[in-house]
Amino acid sequence: MSKKLINKARGLSDKAIAWIFITPTVLLLLAINIYPLFYAISMSFTNFYANKIGKEIKWVGLKNYIKVLGKESVWERMQITANFMFWTLLIQALIGLGLALLLNKKFKGNELLTTLIVLPMMLSPAVVGTFWTYLYNPQVGVFSYIMNFFYNFGPIDMIGSSVLAPWSIVIVDTWMWTPFTMLICLAGLRSIPDYLYEAAEVDRASRWQQFIYITLPSVLPFLLLALLFRGIENFKMFDMVVELTSGGPGSATELASIQLKREAFEKWKTGYSSAYAVILFVTIFGFGNVYVKVMNKIKDR
Amino acid sequence: MASVHLENINKSFGSINALSNLNLEIKDGEFFVLLGPTGAGKTTTLRIVSGLEMPDSGNIFFNEELVNNVQPAFRNTSYVFQQYSLYPHYSVYDNLAFPLRSPLRKSDKKTIDDRVHEIAKLLKIENKLNNKATQLSGGEMQRVSLGRALVRDPNIYLMDEPLSSLDAKLREELRVELKKIQTDLYATILYVTHDQIEATTMADRIGVLKEGLLTQVGTPQEIYEEPNSIYVANRLGSPKINILDNKQIHNSQNSSASYVGIRPEDIKIDQNGSYNVKIETTELLGAETLVSFKSDTVNGILLTQENINVGEGDNIKIGINETKILYFDNNEQRMR
Ligand SMILES: Nc1ncnc2c1ncn2[C@@H]1O[C@H](COP(=O)(O)OP(=O)(O)OP(=O)(O)O)[C@@H](O)[C@H]1O
Ligand SMILES: [Mg+2]
Repeated sequence: MSKKLINKARGLSDKAIAWIFITPTVLLLLAINIYPLFYAISMSFTNFYANKIGKEIKWVGLKNYIKVLGKESVWERMQITANFMFWTLLIQALIGLGLALLLNKKFKGNELLTTLIVLPMMLSPAVVGTFWTYLYNPQVGVFSYIMNFFYNFGPIDMIGSSVLAPWSIVIVDTWMWTPFTMLICLAGLRSIPDYLYEAAEVDRASRWQQFIYITLPSVLPFLLLALLFRGIENFKMFDMVVELTSGGPGSATELASIQLKREAFEKWKTGYSSAYAVILFVTIFGFGNVYVKVMNKIKDR
Repeated sequence: MASVHLENINKSFGSINALSNLNLEIKDGEFFVLLGPTGAGKTTTLRIVSGLEMPDSGNIFFNEELVNNVQPAFRNTSYVFQQYSLYPHYSVYDNLAFPLRSPLRKSDKKTIDDRVHEIAKLLKIENKLNNKATQLSGGEMQRVSLGRALVRDPNIYLMDEPLSSLDAKLREELRVELKKIQTDLYATILYVTHDQIEATTMADRIGVLKEGLLTQVGTPQEIYEEPNSIYVANRLGSPKINILDNKQIHNSQNSSASYVGIRPEDIKIDQNGSYNVKIETTELLGAETLVSFKSDTVNGILLTQENINVGEGDNIKIGINETKILYFDNNEQRMR
């Protein structure tokens, strides 16, 4: 009421004030997000090459899209990406929830342990990628050493072997990002009131029933949200993997985003890679939307 | 069903003594009501019986068997929580069926289904069975919570104000229903309420709690007619008992008493009465009329069933039924 009066006195409505505050942000967003997006979409219908500036730009219609979708290697990279996402999300969901359940118990050193577990998440992905190349070193790396401690495998070349390399990136991503799923699950667990467990205990429910009836339904919306964030991030995964394996050996760990970068900034096929980028964008946008719908359904249940 | 015996129970939370040296014997098949103002330790008593809370010291016996270290599930009590505690992700049906699905009792689907419908019908929530537990009114939630306790046959039913958010009519119906269930099943019930009508109509015995101390235990009639302190006298009876100074009572039978208690129904409008008072307000309570009066020396309320034709401001004479006067000493304890 009084606020309104003050605004009126200066001749500005609440709406006008609101616009004044958000305009800089909107302009910034338009300049660095929206404009490039539409520029990329328009380029995806041309034969533009960013390294051949003088060349005439021709409208080619849907040709770029047909080329991208018809390429065997693109589908291969998509499959590699899907594989990477499936395993990282699955493992991170399980370990994240498991750790959250453990940390939700009250014991001494609980907070310190939480802080320690969360540390990897704070590091830069490029740094993580680089130092895991040392950990993975078959001769002197800690990873090989530890594995050999359990069984005498001999030197394990995680990065060099085309069978193990996809797992090497799954392991590093899990190491780095499980704490994220864990934190969000922990928030979910903390939101469950004690009295529900008390009621269940009096109702003679087993531990397992308590987990199924109370814990899981309460924590599921949180877990799904964490997986949404992780899914979007890992679909775009680039820096950590480039530092670790550079997409190799061969193309065993070449995710779609890495291939896209190579097409765009090594082969300079700008029009073609714009089409590729738009396809990736539409894919993640579509999946994301469906996922959110499903998530809301589960939450309302 | 079982008898429950609490022996020298102490429980404190930090500096608050929630229960001090509580001794309580609830007989098999008894309807026992705990009365007491907020914070008196009623909920704490129920939690200790159920096993959700451990007493600091003292013993708990079910059927004369020590259960101090027995887990809640194995004490087999059923509990209507003060804050309902329904399972929010499930339907009313699943909430009611939940206790029947415990691995400790193997009921088949048909038995569970029949029982759930039976209870839902009793509590008039049959048409809500498919609602989610969060999509209910407060009174409906409370009935589901009550139903969840009634679906099984435990050692003892613990009920923490189970009818508090229902409307008067439904409350009355369920009061009758509950009492009937209790006598039919010969159930042991430990029941907490603020509502004295609930207490007097349903209880076999009443225990009055004051700041963690059990001050008196007895049948509703004993508590009403022979309270052993002003505190207890105040807890039962509506309208409330009149507490007056002993000095203001003409020809008092007990000269060493400090206070007297007189129930409103023991004061009558009487042409030959020895007190001259002025009517302050009158209030029609169905068949009876509540009159509050005042004079220089005494003021209080009286209850009459006669048709009175006096109004506010009128001067009347009243008489007190002297045989019913309760005398209290200066510690507010009853003198006999
Ligand atoms: N978990 C707890 N932690 C600290 N103090 C508590 C706890 N539970 C109860 N108390 C205290 O113990 C005393 C008794 O509480 P209790 O819940 O038994 O009261 P009550 O008789 O059920 O009251 P009401 O009629 O308001 O439900 C209160 O003073 C309360 O503040
Ligand atoms: Mg209480």
